This record gives sequence, structure tokens and C-alpha cells, in this order.
Amino acid sequence: MFREIFQFELKYRSKRAATFVYFGIIFLISFLAVTTDGVKTGGAMGQIKQNAPYVLTMLSVVYSVFLCLVSSAIMGVAVLRDFEHNMEAILFSTPINKLSYLMGRFWGSFVVLVFIGSGTWLAFLLGDLMWWRDQSQLLPFNFWNHFQPFLLFCVPNLFLGGCLPFMNGTLSRKPIAIYTQGIALLVLYVAGQTMLKNFDQKNIAALIDPFGLQAFIYETQYWTPAERNQFLVPFTGYVLYNRLIWMGVGFVALVITYLGFSFNVVRKSPVKSNASGETFKRIDENAVSIPAAQQLFNYRTELKQVIHMAKLYFFSVVREIPFMGIVISGLLLLILKSINLGEMYGTNSYPTTYQVLNLVTGSFGLFFLIVIVFYSGELLWKEKSLKIDLIIDAMPVSSFNVLAAKFFGLVAIYVMLLLLLMLCGMAIQVAYGYYRFEPSVYLRTLFTDTLGGLILTTFLCVFIQVLVNNKFLGYVVCVAFLFLSSQIDKIGVEHGMFQFASGKLGTFSDMNVYGHFVYPFTWFKTYWFGFSLLLFAIAVIFCVRGSEEELNIRWKAGKQRLNRKLVAFILCGTILFLSSGFYIYYNTNVINRYRNTDMQNEMRADYEKKYKAFETLLQPRIVETNVQVDIYPSERDFTAEGYYHLRNKSDQPIKDLHIQQSTDDHLIIDYVKFDEAVTLKQADDVYRYYIYELEEPLQPGDSARMDFKVSFITEGFKEKNSSTRVIYNGTFFNNATFFPAIGYNTHYELAEDDDRKEQDLEKKERMLERNDSSGKMMTLFGDDADHIRFEVTLSTSADQLAIAPGYLRKEWQENDRRYFHYKMDVPMANFYSIVSARYAVKRDTWKNVNLEIYYHPGHEYNLDRMMQAMKDALEYYSVNFSDYQYSQMRIMEFPRYESFAQSFANTIPFSEGIGFITRIKDPGKDIDYPYYVTAHEVAHQWWGHQVMPAGVKGSSMISESMSQYSALMVMKHSFTPETMERYLKFELDGYLKGRASERKKEQPLELVEGQGYIHYNKASLVFFALQDYIGEDSVNAAFRRFNKAWRFKDGPYPVSSDLLRCIREVTPDSLQYVIHDMFETITLFENKTLEADYVEKDTSLFEVTLIVSAEKMRADSLGTETPTPIGDWIDIGVYSETDGTEKLVYLLKHRFTKKENTVVIQVSQKPSRAGIDPLHKLIDRHSDDNTRTVRKKLER
Amino acid sequence: MQLIIQNLNKTYSNGVQALRDVNLTISQGMFGLLGPNGAGKSSLMRTIATLQEADSGSIFLDSLDVLENKEQVRRILGYLPQEFGVYPKIDAVSLLDHLAVLKGITHSRERKDLVETLLQKTNLWAARKKNLGGFSGGMKQRFGIAQALLASPKLIIVDEPTAGLDPAERNRFLNLLSEIGENTIVILSTHIVEDVKELCTDMAIINKGQVVYSGSPIEAIKEISGKVWKKRVSKPEIEGHKKLYDVLSERLSGGIPELKVFSGMHPGNGFEPVEADLEDVYFTQVFAKRRVSLSHELPIKVQT
Repeated sequence: MFREIFQFELKYRSKRAATFVYFGIIFLISFLAVTTDGVKTGGAMGQIKQNAPYVLTMLSVVYSVFLCLVSSAIMGVAVLRDFEHNMEAILFSTPINKLSYLMGRFWGSFVVLVFIGSGTWLAFLLGDLMWWRDQSQLLPFNFWNHFQPFLLFCVPNLFLGGCLPFMNGTLSRKPIAIYTQGIALLVLYVAGQTMLKNFDQKNIAALIDPFGLQAFIYETQYWTPAERNQFLVPFTGYVLYNRLIWMGVGFVALVITYLGFSFNVVRKSPVKSNASGETFKRIDENAVSIPAAQQLFNYRTELKQVIHMAKLYFFSVVREIPFMGIVISGLLLLILKSINLGEMYGTNSYPTTYQVLNLVTGSFGLFFLIVIVFYSGELLWKEKSLKIDLIIDAMPVSSFNVLAAKFFGLVAIYVMLLLLLMLCGMAIQVAYGYYRFEPSVYLRTLFTDTLGGLILTTFLCVFIQVLVNNKFLGYVVCVAFLFLSSQIDKIGVEHGMFQFASGKLGTFSDMNVYGHFVYPFTWFKTYWFGFSLLLFAIAVIFCVRGSEEELNIRWKAGKQRLNRKLVAFILCGTILFLSSGFYIYYNTNVINRYRNTDMQNEMRADYEKKYKAFETLLQPRIVETNVQVDIYPSERDFTAEGYYHLRNKSDQPIKDLHIQQSTDDHLIIDYVKFDEAVTLKQADDVYRYYIYELEEPLQPGDSARMDFKVSFITEGFKEKNSSTRVIYNGTFFNNATFFPAIGYNTHYELAEDDDRKEQDLEKKERMLERNDSSGKMMTLFGDDADHIRFEVTLSTSADQLAIAPGYLRKEWQENDRRYFHYKMDVPMANFYSIVSARYAVKRDTWKNVNLEIYYHPGHEYNLDRMMQAMKDALEYYSVNFSDYQYSQMRIMEFPRYESFAQSFANTIPFSEGIGFITRIKDPGKDIDYPYYVTAHEVAHQWWGHQVMPAGVKGSSMISESMSQYSALMVMKHSFTPETMERYLKFELDGYLKGRASERKKEQPLELVEGQGYIHYNKASLVFFALQDYIGEDSVNAAFRRFNKAWRFKDGPYPVSSDLLRCIREVTPDSLQYVIHDMFETITLFENKTLEADYVEKDTSLFEVTLIVSAEKMRADSLGTETPTPIGDWIDIGVYSETDGTEKLVYLLKHRFTKKENTVVIQVSQKPSRAGIDPLHKLIDRHSDDNTRTVRKKLER
Repeated sequence: MQLIIQNLNKTYSNGVQALRDVNLTISQGMFGLLGPNGAGKSSLMRTIATLQEADSGSIFLDSLDVLENKEQVRRILGYLPQEFGVYPKIDAVSLLDHLAVLKGITHSRERKDLVETLLQKTNLWAARKKNLGGFSGGMKQRFGIAQALLASPKLIIVDEPTAGLDPAERNRFLNLLSEIGENTIVILSTHIVEDVKELCTDMAIINKGQVVYSGSPIEAIKEISGKVWKKRVSKPEIEGHKKLYDVLSERLSGGIPELKVFSGMHPGNGFEPVEADLEDVYFTQVFAKRRVSLSHELPIKVQT
């Protein structure tokens, strides 16, 4: 019996077009993904090959999530279709048995499903063999690398994704139940995604994700590029548990289906009982005659009809239990995500309205998409599926109005949901004890950007559903379209005029509010709205009315609907679409310049090819800068006019002056003049590279004055990436961005090897070698200058303060503008910021240093912490390193378009987003990162400004890592040890993750090439361990010596080996190896406690025996590890527990010379936990096995 | 008012020719449409009800071109499809009220009166507050009738309206229809010949997409009166009789087969005359084709 049903199912499905359509869609999407740049979604970039096992697995899992949409459609109807086609009565009266029937249907459909799913790996497989693939990006073909992910992830996901809809479809006999359960799966998936980001919930995340993606990511999170190219994820650990759990859930669903299913055709029968209970009532027909009712057909009637229908549709959806299910799951997810609101280093930020809005729109976005796709289909097919279509279609309501009513019904749903989200957002704020409600910000964001996007997508889905004219296929096409349209930028189609529903409101900032984004946003949305009106008109013409479903007949019938009104509507849409389109084009491509990524890359490559020869050309250096900058915040313009003094510091005369002007599109070069006679030898207005020939060469030691003026003019709007540097409130830019520079600029070069290859350029080292002679003569700020004399006059609107490095000499008002004159009294780096905003100021002093924080009113939360950090930092650094070189220290807030703080001479611009709204709830536990960031930036006054490193490999070990160490020491003295431990855990995670996504090559710290995960995260670990090994005083002594040797010096500048020499000098011989491990190599440990037990000698003497294993590995730049002999001093620690808190009662370094070691130690308190390197000072990929619970040894 | 259908043709994409050159003139009053399953009744009705396109031909309601001015037709149309559903989660009053709005009845008082009256007329008053999802087949059918009568339509098309109604309800409905049908065109399709006989002043019989007869039922009966004969036979005799005579119908009467045949003169052989009724007309028309073709096919059949 089973066989017949199974075969029947296969036969039935093999005759259905849907089976092959699904297969085709899946195949095509997968094929496109893998053979185009879409492969990057799988993590193929840099050193990770495009068909690396890691990439193939990632893609397989991600696509299997998409496949679950299909599996619902296939498996859900396996039994359900008998009910939908009213076959059940006939079928269930035949003598088939339940098990055979259910299993036959299930396995038959499942085989079909696996066939459809195999579209993904077939596509991946074939994709490997396509001739246009870049062979250098591919590993040799390996069948198992393709097949294992399919078996391990795809098939089980299809099984789970098949069992659940099969159960729901069979038991509930309602299609809607199938989708609701699909949403539950999705919620778990997204919940897993959220939790994985949180430190303490990673393992839960790995288990609760039904698709296994989080388990996969968790198991491979620290895999290096080499490992990602080499290994398939093993079927162990969380991947194993995850798969077992969810396969188990699938089987349970099958069992429940079997138990719960019965062949009864009628289960509950409210119909019968009600009907039979009705008493037959005779009424006298003649007594009542049908009253006349007037029919009115005018605009008011139509309006009334549309409202009536829209209301009906609205309520029909919101009263549905699945709808409530979707909404409730969305809200649950929202609450879950709100726990980690604005998190950095495990510390939340205040729930400002924009943070909450980010959260709300971000986490609910997926649910909106579900609601749109699903309910636009539901409503369009409502009449048809209820079989009331013929009645409604015969009503005197135009097709336009019917579709419009459905559309408005959906819009009403969105409005309701948005209001609900707004309430939820405020509830979250209340829960955090935050009462600064800004309903207007909620309304202005939700009802413009969010609602606009929803409306446009709805138009699209309505259009697709009408044209496809098949609900389920319509769903798939909608999702496929949305997916593909999110990918088209990967093939170079980046312009918003080709990206459906483009136009984003942009980042909201408390300082700059919506800024200048509103204007382009409105135009782009208008453009797509016009387009959508046309889609709607087409939908009106082609929508099925009555029983005609063939496209040509639909057109024949639809033509009749092209009445005056619809034509006018189409005309309106066309005018809106075209006029806004022209206007956008005019703005983005005519008065502004548009280039997609490829064009930009091409230009950068072209620049390199043309001018690379001048890279090391001898040029004079700037020794003085004096400039007046007039900022016009409301116009987003500025002009900069002033002069440089250029001096020939070399020993040869210089004939040509190479001036590189900023290539920013907004910038206009007004003039460049010299006080010497020059001829403009070459003018390249594209790359703005100008060569002036001096009539009299500049002799060694001689100077020339260069006067210049540039204007930054904002006109219209750009396609995207509109400049956030010169804005209404919170202007912040530095000289490198806009001011003239000397000679060839290496920063314009393409950095990524992939991009370089596309442009026929050789691979490129990221930085100059450490012993490069020209590199040693320039600083990390470039080769335009050593130290400069600096003076600047700023002017801005009357309500703003403008700040630059230097001391304020004069301040005045003129023509309703405010002027500030700053001058620095000592030479400083050629690196200065210009800032202008409406500020409030907090002032304080430390010794004779004026401390000032310029902040946005309302952002007072952490000013005291930042002020304290400045004081503590200045104190620590001046005591331990050297005197502070300025008499003033200023922090100024800038909008959150960027999230960094940056140290300029006596000046620290500090992003709104990384400290000003941080919420330190429990100072004993939360990591106070406003304090940390401040301490770090203050340290740059020493490391970066007092001592400027040479611009070669390892330079950021001096600027960043030394600042990082300095900040850590300040933190160490004001934070608890537990907080420090927690902080370092984040740093370890950051380092291990960072090296896992390294695109080119991991460097040892001393040769770091600006890689943040090395010069920040690894440096924290390494320096913290170093001061633990050799002592804080010794490290400080080394830093002091280093500082003394190099401070305020012009070239040659110090390199990392100069610092290491100082460190070696203070390190005892027995620990010299540590420096090699930490700085000169990539060294990792695999420390583990295998056994731990104790014997109680007496009540205050416990003997603990530990068997620990210690391994040491060296990794190469791709992350391939080789073991190296161990001879290391490593901590052994024992914890004792009193009153539920553990305390270290023993912590001492032991020397290990082999892998497995037995350690016997005596402690005076009862041990609870013990192990090797308990404080994670060494870099270890599995830090959770370092310690284990100590058991009492059984007496023999 | 007159509905004139001329040369109406429709072929479905699967090749089935649903309507072949249909010509009908339908005046006010009840018009019955008879035909076997799949004859094209519903196709014809859907086409008149603006829900289906015709390949060629025309339908005019007086001067109103039904195929071109669907919107206008829908304003005066009441349509009850053969099979239909309802929005399950709202009650009868609400849905009927909703449909009344769609019919363009905007005055809420008038609408309320109308809705309530129709619910009474269709005997749904007691169940008016009940969710339609809980309606029995008969109740649903009555609701369908109620909605078809909204806004005093000038053209009512009801596709097998009495299917699923119990005899009492059927009578109520037919009375209601005839009451309305006095100054309205009511097109009623059915395979219950009795309905047509009782109600209709005019009728048409459709078979395989073609109108095989149109006229008044009484005339039709008159035409075949005296040409219908019956005979009780034993089971083995049936096949032989079928070859010899134009058998209209065979049915059991008290367990014994009884054949009715069509013949211009007394066929003898134990046949006795019966009074022709509309059903006989129906069978005559429906099987007329077969009879013609049979006479050609017969020799071939014998040979094989």
C-alpha cells in the first residue's frame, strides 16, 4: 500500500509544473549566487576561496532557509490538497491504512522536495566548472566539499522544514497554519542570530537555530582563512547537537501527525448542529415586499465602497490568529533584542529614540516583509479561495477600486503595526527608566521611511501576484524578486534609480537630526511611488475578474478598464515617475557626479598607473600652515583660504612642485599661487594632480610660500554617500580630506587584491617595509610635513562654536557670524580637525591644564566619567611617561555618522555614538567605555603626537597599541579586576574573530599593517600579559625610555623594533622568549585542564593535583598552525568558593616544558575550581577548558 | 426590456467549445435554461453576467452592450453562481450590508431596510447574527439568493438556485423569484425540469454549447404531444429496444424498467401513449443529435 501511494505521489508531483518551476528558480538563484559576486555572501573574500568548504557550507545553509518557503508549499499540501479539492470523502472511504497513506504522501513529497533542494548543490557544483570563473579564486574541484554541506544541513533542514508543515497542513487542514509555523521557525532563526552576538548566549544560539546556521558559525567563528579553505565543519559539537535536536523535532512532528490524524471527514461540525437547531419559520411573504433602495454611482459612493472593503479586509486580517502569531513573535523578538540595546563591550547605551527606532525597524523588518508578501497574496486571493469571487466580481465596483481597497486594507494594517511598534518602543524606553519621549521622531521615521518602503513593496507584491496569478508561485516570485533586487548592486547596478524602493532616510543623530537626507529621500521615494502607480495600473488591467485566467483574454478584458480615470491615473504615475526621475538624474548625475564602484575603482587604478612614478619624488615639506576657514552650516559649504610655507629639507635642489588637490566632487579649487615664479607644467583636472615648475629651483634649506583657496560647495544631492562632513550641526573634517597636499597620494590606490586584479594591477603590500628608508623619513600622517607651525581662523554661523587645534587667541562677531582665531604655540603634526556645532561646554582643570568637553545639550550622561578619565589619564601618563605637552585638552562631540574618536593636538573629536549616550548601570560590572575611549585618545597625545611613528609596517603598534596599553593601565587602577578580566575577554574574542576574517595576511604585532584586531585587540592581550610577566613598572620604564629617545623629533621616525629594543632592555633573560611570542610571531596556546582533584590533609590544608596539557602553536599569515616546543611560564590558579562567589586563592606561574604535566600544590582553603591560565592571559582559542571543577579524590 | 444574444461563441483554451453560435432573445419574465451537465449553461450565464469573455458574438440588453459595458451591466445585475462561498468570519447582516454598499446603495437607512427584508424573505432572519462560516448548505444558498436580489436588479441570473434546498425552501424561493420576475429578466438555469415548467414563460435547452430549442415550455410540450410512448420491458429486452426505437428515457417503475420512446406514429409492439411533459421535451432535444448520428453509426457498429 505504501509503495502505491508513494509512487502515486511521485508521479503526481512529476506532472506538476510547480515542481520544475521551483527547481528552476532555486537552481537559477543558486547558480547566480555562486558564479557572480553574490558568492561573497558566503564569506568568499580576500584569502578565502570562492568554493572553499566554508563558503559552500555557508551558502548551502543560507539557501536552505530560503528553501523552507518551498518546503512549506510542497509538504504542507501533501495531505491538505485532498481537503482543498474536496477529495477527502472519496479517498478516506477507500480501504487504505493511515500509516501507508501518511507515510506514502510524506516520503513521496519529501523525495520531490529533496529533488528541488538539490537545485542548490547542483548549481554550486556546476558553478565550479564554469569557464568564466576566476581560477585563482577557486580550489581544485572537490565533490565532497559540495555534497557534505548538502547532506549535513540542506537535507535535515528540508526534513524539518517538511515535517512541520506536513503536520500542520494535515492536522489543521488549513494552509494558513503552515505559514504560521514557518514564521515560528524564522523567529528562532533570528533569535539565534541575535543571541550569537551576545557573549554569554552563544551556545544557546547554536542550539535554538532550527537551520543550524548559528551552530555552524559558532563552531567556525575563530577559523582562520587557511582553515576555512581546508576543512568542512565536522559533525561534532554544537553542529551535531543542533542537527540531532531538530531532526528529532521533525520525527516528533511526524509521530504527532500519525497520532492526531484520522480519516474522519468531518471533525467538529458546528455547521450541522447549528443548522439542525434552527427552527423553520414561516413568514407571510405578502406582508413584506422588498423595499426600493436607491443606487447611487458617484465619487462619494466609490469612496464609501473602497473604505467599506478596506475595512473588511483589514479586519479579516487582524482578527486572524496567524496574523496575531506573526505580530506576537515579532514583538517577542523585539523584546529579546532590546536586551542588548546599543551594546558595546557588553555595556548598553541609553535607549534614545533613534536607538530604539533602529532596533524596532531592524528587528521587525523581517516580519513586515512576511506580512507584506503573505497578506498581499492572501487578500488578492481571498475571494477566489473562499469561492465568493464570482459574486464579488459581478458587483458594480471597478477593478481599480477593488484592488485599491485591498491595498488600503494592507496599508491600514501597517499603520496599526507601526503605531504598535511606537508604543513598544516607548515601553522599552520606560523599562530602561528613560523618559525622554520623542513621539515626533517616531512618527517622522516610521511614517515616512518605514511606511514608504512598506507601501512600495506592497505595490510590487500586488503586481506580482496579479501577473503570476498563482498564490504560491506568487509568494516565491515575490521573495525571489526581493532577494535578487538586493543583489543587483553586486553586478554594478548601484544607482538608486535602478534599485527598487531605494531612498533611505539615513542615520538619525541627536545633533544633526535628519540632516540633509530628507530631501533626496523624498525624491527617490516619489520616483518609486510613481513607478509603483504604474505597476498598480498594470495590475488593474490584468487582474482576473470572473473566470478568465489566460493572459491574452485578461488583456482583452482589461482593455475595457482603460477608461478616462485609469488613463489619468497612469498619466499621473508616468508624470510623477518621469519628472522625479529626471530631477534625480539631474541632481545625481548632472550637477553631481555619479560613479559606481567599478568606475571608482577604475579611476583609482588609473591614477596609480599615471602617477605612481612620483611616489618617492623628492618634494619640499610643509613647515607652516595658516588658513582661514569659513563654514556655512546651513548651506553645507565652506571656503578655506590661506598659505603653506614649504621648505626643501633635502640636500638637493627641487625643480618641480607636485600639488595633489582633494578629488572630492564638492570641492572647487579657486587658486594656487606661489611667491616664486612658476609655470604650470601639467594640470590634470580629473585627478587634480598639478605640477608646477619653478623658474629658480628651490635650494636645500630654502622655503616657498604657497597661497591657496578651495571652496566646498554643496549643490543638489548625490546618489548616495552624500558627505556627512559639512552639515547643519556637527561639521567635522580634517585637513587630509580637503586641503591641498604634496605629491602622490598612496591612499588613493586600490588596496584589495581582488579589486587590483580586476584592474590589472599587481598585488600590493599594505604598507612600506619597516626598514624602508623613505618610510622612515615620514610619519604615519604622511610625507607632506614633519612638524608644522599652525594657525587658523574659523568662522561659522552665530549659533555655533568652531574649534580647531591650538589655543583660542581671539573670538569676535562680525556680520552675524562668529569668528575664532586659534594658534598653536609649539610645532605639531600636520593633522588638524575643524569642528563646528551648537555646543554646550563643560569645563574643569587638572593641574594647570584646562579641560573642556563640548557636547550636545542633552548628552550630559557621561561627562563626569570622561572628565575623570582625562584627569586620571593625564596623571598616569605624565607620571609614568613624560610631561603633557599642551596646557589644554578638549573633547568635542560629533554626530554618529562615524563611530570613532580621534586625537588631534590638544583636541579630541568624539563620536556621539560611542560614549555620550552609554549607560553605565553598574560601575562595578559594566565596562565604562567612555572612560576607556577617553583614556585611549588622551594617550595618543603621547603616542602619535609626542612620538610620531614612521609610516611603515608596525607604526600602529606605536600609535595604537601603546595608547591601548596606557589606557589599560589607567583602567586597571580604577576598575575592578573582574571588569578588567571581562574587558580582556572581549578583546580576545575581537582578536580571534578579526583574524578569522583577515582578507590578506595576519601579521605579528610588530609588523601590523593597520589591522584593528591586531593593534587594538591583540595588543591589549599582549601588553596586559607583558606587564603581568615583567611588571607594570618595567613596561613603563621601557615606554619612558622610548619616549625620551624620540619625542618631538623630526625624521627619521621610530619603528616598532626601536620600541621592542626598549622593552627587551627591561625584560629578564628568562622571559625574553615572551617578546618573541608576543610581538614577533603569531603564537597561540592550547591550554587545558584534564583532571583536577584534591585531598583534604586537614581543615586548612588541601593538596590539589592537576593534570594539565599545554601546547604552543605558531601560525602563518593565513592561519596555518605548526606546533612549537613549549618551555613557558604559565599561571596555575585555584579558586575557592565562599558564599557563592569564587576567589582566587592560588595564582603562580609554573614552567612547562612538555605537553602533559602533573602539578601538585597546596592551598589553605577548600578548592572549588582550578586549572591552567585561569585569567586567560595567553591567547587560546578554547578558553573555556582552561579550568575545571576540583573533585575530592576517592580514597583507595 | 430584452436581452438579445447573437452568434455567441466561446472556446476554452483546452479546446472545449463551450458555446456554439448561441442566439437567444430573452424578454422580461422568467427564462429557464435547461441542459445536461457540461452543456454550457454556466458558461452562457457567466458571459451574460460579465464574468467571461466571448470569442465572438454580441449580447445586448436593449441598447446596452453587455460585453463592452460591463460596469453598467453590473449595476443592474443580480447574479447567483452555481457554486459559491462566503467570508467565513462575518455574519449574514454584515456581509449582505457590505454587498449592498458594493451595489451602490449608499443611504444607510434604505440599506438597512433592504437587508433586513431580504433576510426575512429568504428566511435567514433568525440566523442573521450568525457567522456565515457556520451556515448549512441550504442557508448559504438562501443567502446567495438574498444577495442576488439586492438593489432590485433588472437582470437576474441564477445558476441552479434550487440545488440543495429542501422542498419547502424551494417553493419559497420560486415564489419569490416569480414575484420579482414580473418586470425583470430572470434567467434561471436548472436541470430540474419541473422548475422550468412551473415558473417559466420562456425557455431554452442547451446541449454541447448549442441552443437546441428555445420557446415556451407549453409550446414545446404541444409540439411533441402525442408522439411519446411508453412500455414496460424486461431487462434483457432493453438493448434490443434501444436499437429499434428512439428511446428518450429508461427508468424503473416499481422495479420494472419502463422505456419512453419518441415516434411520430404508434410504434405498436406493446407501446402505449403517454401525455408528454417537459421532461420528454428535454430528452427529445438533448438526445436529438444522438438520434441523428446513431442512424449513421449503427451499420458500422454492427459490422464491428
